[in-house]
Amino acid sequence: MPNSLDPHLDAETTEEYSLQQLSARKTAEVETHLLICESCRKAVAASDAYVAAMREAAAKVRETEQNPMPHRRMAAR
Amino acid sequence: MVERIQANDPSGMEELYSIFTTGIRFYLCRQLGPQDLDDKVHDAFLTIAQSIRRGDLREPERLMGYVRTVVRRQVAGYIGTAVEARRNFVDADHTPVLRDRKPDPERTAIEEQNTALAMRVLNTLPRRDREVLVRFYLQEQSPGQICREMRLTATQFRLTKSRAKARFTELGQARFARRLGFTASMDARRRGSAPAQAS
Repeated sequence: MPNSLDPHLDAETTEEYSLQQLSARKTAEVETHLLICESCRKAVAASDAYVAAMREAAAKVRETEQNPMPHRRMAAR
Repeated sequence: MVERIQANDPSGMEELYSIFTTGIRFYLCRQLGPQDLDDKVHDAFLTIAQSIRRGDLREPERLMGYVRTVVRRQVAGYIGTAVEARRNFVDADHTPVLRDRKPDPERTAIEEQNTALAMRVLNTLPRRDREVLVRFYLQEQSPGQICREMRLTATQFRLTKSRAKARFTELGQARFARRLGFTASMDARRRGSAPAQAS
C-alpha cells in the first residue's frame, strides 16, 4: 500500500485490486491514490490485462484437460 | 482550490480538472467501459463542483477521498440505470434504451493476443505450476487454500506466480519489439530504403 517511504502501490496490492480481493477500506485507499498517480494507473491497467488473459487461458487449459483431444474421439466413432 | 470552487472562481475548476481528469477517466473507463466516456467525465466534474459549492465537502483536506466517493456513487448510478433499463426491456418488450455495446476490434485483438501469450506461458510450465495458476486465476482459490491443498510454502506459491508473470511480460515485450521491427521495415520499404538495424 502507499506509505511515506514508498508512495506507490506494490505488485501484490495491484494484483489483489485487479482480482477484486481487497477489503473495502483498502480499495478506497487504492482508488484514491489512483486518482492522482499515473504510474500506478499504468501498473493497474497492465495487471488487469494480465489477470484477464490468465483467467481466459486458464479456462481453456482446464477445458482441454477435461476434454482431451475431442477430434480423436470424433474420429474413433 | 476548494475555496475558489466555492467562490465560482474558474481557476478553481481548472485546477480540479487538471488534477483529477485522467484519474476519473481511468476509473470510469475501468468500471463502465469506454462508451460515452467524455460525457461521463464531464458529468462527474459537474457533480463534484456542485456538491463542493453546496458545502458538502466540509474538510477540504479530504478532497481526494471525496472525489472518489462522488465518482463511485456515479458509477453505481449508471449501473443501476442500466440494470433497470434491461429489466424494463425484458418485461415490456420495449425498444432497448441501453447504449450500443459493440466490441472495439482493436481492444478485442489485443485481448486475444494477451490470451495467446498466457496460453504459451501456461503450456510451457510444469503441470504442477500450471495447476497453481489455474486454481488462483480461474477458480479464485485463496493462496492459503492452494498452499494447503498442494503442499506449497507461501514463497513457492509467490515464486510460481511471479515467474509466470515475468514470462508473460517477456513474451509481450518480444511481441512488441517484433511489431516495432515490422513497422520500421514497412516504413523503410515505403521510403524505398533498407530498414534500420535495431540496436
